[in-house]
Amino acid sequence: MRRIIRRRELVADDARYAGEESAPGTRMVQPVAQFIAALGAGQASGSAAAVLIGPADEVEVLAPHLARLNLIVVEFPKIGEGRGYSQARMLRQRYGYTGELRARGAIKRDQLFFLARCGFDSFDLDPAEDLQASLGSFNDFSVAYQDGSDAVVQVRRRAGAA
Amino acid sequence: MYRYDHIDQTLVNERVAQFRDQTRRFLAGELSEDEFRPLRLRNGLYIQRYAPMLRVSIPYGLLSTVQLRMLAHIARTYDRDYGHFTTRQNIQYNWPALERVPDILADLASVQMHAIQTSGNCIRNITSDHLAGVAPDEIADPRPYCEIIRQWAALHPEFSYLPRKFKIAVTASPADRAAVEIHDVGVRLRRGSKGEIGFEILAGGGLGRTPILGKVIRRFLPEADLLAYLTAILRVYNRYGRRDNIHKARIKILLRALGAEEFTRQVEQEFRAGREFAPSLAAQEVERMRGFFAPPLYQAIDDSTPAIGTSSSGNPAYDAWLRYNTRRHKVTGYRVVFVSLKKHGEAPGDMSGEQMDALAGLADRVSFGLVRVTHDQNLVLADVPQSTLPGVWRELDALGLATPNIGTLTDMICCPGLDFCSLANAGSIDVAKQIHARFDDLDYLYDLGPVEIKMSGCMNACGHHHIGHIGILGVDKHGKEWYQITIGGSSTGPAALGEVIGPSVPKDQVADTIARLLEVYVRERLGDHERFVDAVRRIGIEPFQERVYETHHSAA
Ligand code: SF4
Repeated sequence: MRRIIRRRELVADDARYAGEESAPGTRMVQPVAQFIAALGAGQASGSAAAVLIGPADEVEVLAPHLARLNLIVVEFPKIGEGRGYSQARMLRQRYGYTGELRARGAIKRDQLFFLARCGFDSFDLDPAEDLQASLGSFNDFSVAYQDGSDAVVQVRRRAGAA
Repeated sequence: MYRYDHIDQTLVNERVAQFRDQTRRFLAGELSEDEFRPLRLRNGLYIQRYAPMLRVSIPYGLLSTVQLRMLAHIARTYDRDYGHFTTRQNIQYNWPALERVPDILADLASVQMHAIQTSGNCIRNITSDHLAGVAPDEIADPRPYCEIIRQWAALHPEFSYLPRKFKIAVTASPADRAAVEIHDVGVRLRRGSKGEIGFEILAGGGLGRTPILGKVIRRFLPEADLLAYLTAILRVYNRYGRRDNIHKARIKILLRALGAEEFTRQVEQEFRAGREFAPSLAAQEVERMRGFFAPPLYQAIDDSTPAIGTSSSGNPAYDAWLRYNTRRHKVTGYRVVFVSLKKHGEAPGDMSGEQMDALAGLADRVSFGLVRVTHDQNLVLADVPQSTLPGVWRELDALGLATPNIGTLTDMICCPGLDFCSLANAGSIDVAKQIHARFDDLDYLYDLGPVEIKMSGCMNACGHHHIGHIGILGVDKHGKEWYQITIGGSSTGPAALGEVIGPSVPKDQVADTIARLLEVYVRERLGDHERFVDAVRRIGIEPFQERVYETHHSAA
């Protein structure tokens, strides 16, 4: 059984992607282009859709449709890929997305702290990663200089700053 | 200087623990080399030609003597008793053992230092003017802003996996000793119409294989918006900078591809859209930061001592040092003293543990316990009472740190090159020695006036050769070390990229080629005051080319 981390717990992976068989208790995650095309064709997908965005996808195109989504999966195809951090930050802050936001791909436990700070709340890591051991990495730091989406660390408060 | 509080200290301690565990996982085979590389790089650890190299951050070049003694201790305990100061106000150790790097980092953390983001595709050490706070020409001390930016950039959750490295420099002086035009982002302090402090922002500068000077993208940014604007620049870069080709991934390539106008439009748009979520910089915070950099308690010293250079002490060596290795201080009775790391026979920028310890002792006695690191790979004692200068000279001279060559031809900048760096095409340290040997007549150097030689062992340009008055670049030609020469570059007033004079020259002809360039200069210069670089600007490179290539040079 594939597992992911969701809100700091190990759970079964409920997502299935293009080319994979769906199974009981799972849901299909559509590529963003397909999701937008279906909307354009009037095939509204209800209020609980799941989409997959790649590093080059613009989060701006999702902005008007966030109410229809309760899972956005952000793909990290390569080690060192960093666009997803900005995508997450924009979805959470500028567009106010409150549903599940998942990071998926070539990511190790060493990225978890930053990913969570940017607003991700579920994580589909490199299959070679030891998930149980990875949970500790959310606590790599207890302090930070920047505001973040999770409120678990002590942030340097600048007098009078936003 | 800035002092860590509980949050700063906790952060570096936790970074040490994190890196210790990453190193353990790598040594245990849980992390592959490919997986470990980005992790170790963002903590300054390279695997070099012979051994790992660890780069330690010296934020905007400022060191306490406690920290300098720790750098000496690390050199002695973990390395071969020396360190190498770089052009970006960092120090590098060339021989640490990988397994011991976490211990080195723990030692550094104990004196409020770290190696965070000294390499890797993230925001690097914030650099600034080495004369900040004492320069008579600055509009305000830039260091409070440097520290504010340093903290904002440290372990930034969004900007830790950028397309490529990202360098920010800050200056507050028209002389721009921080060379902000060759940085990804340059910040120039400015005064607004009501006397308030703001910033001119440049973006897209950089050297490497595509040298470009930065463009001004904002004439005047209010102080409160500094971090919000940096956030906007970084976000545009993080989203749209190229990631498919390492040689096209710097922000300068994005800016060039979009055009400065479109790039600026995108940054401004992001700035407006993101501002309400970005950190704003409160005046109280700037004030608090400024407190850390308050001037030391200068004594009121009567200024009847004769002006430097107008009288002779009867000791020509001391007089030469006074004239070349010291500078005016904004406070009467004090002098800025340069500590030359450019002694003949030593690799430029290298310093032994013993020298560091002794210099720390001297700085405790005569310069308020602080030392600065320059971009030219020298050190500075910034606040030395004039009355102590003869004694300071004697001590520095005994340590081999008083070579009176600051600003002259032999005050060269030089990267580690083939001797240490696995990317090098050619050696640079032995070429520096060759140049030192050829130009050992100080009177000749003094007659030449300021000539900046900068040398890199490969196109990565760590030695900033593009902006040397004379630039030397190591190239590989059929497995042999050759050198391409540029002239007319400058880091300041105005910054300029040098022009290649022609085919590269073999190693044994580098000093000879420089001699020919200087011959032309001496012949052509207008009076005693036209500098080499100004003469090149005036007459162009042809007369120099003619002389260099007129005879036997085996051009290839
Ligand atoms: S310029 Fe090249 S050879 Fe010199 S230190 Fe940089 S990468 Fe190494």
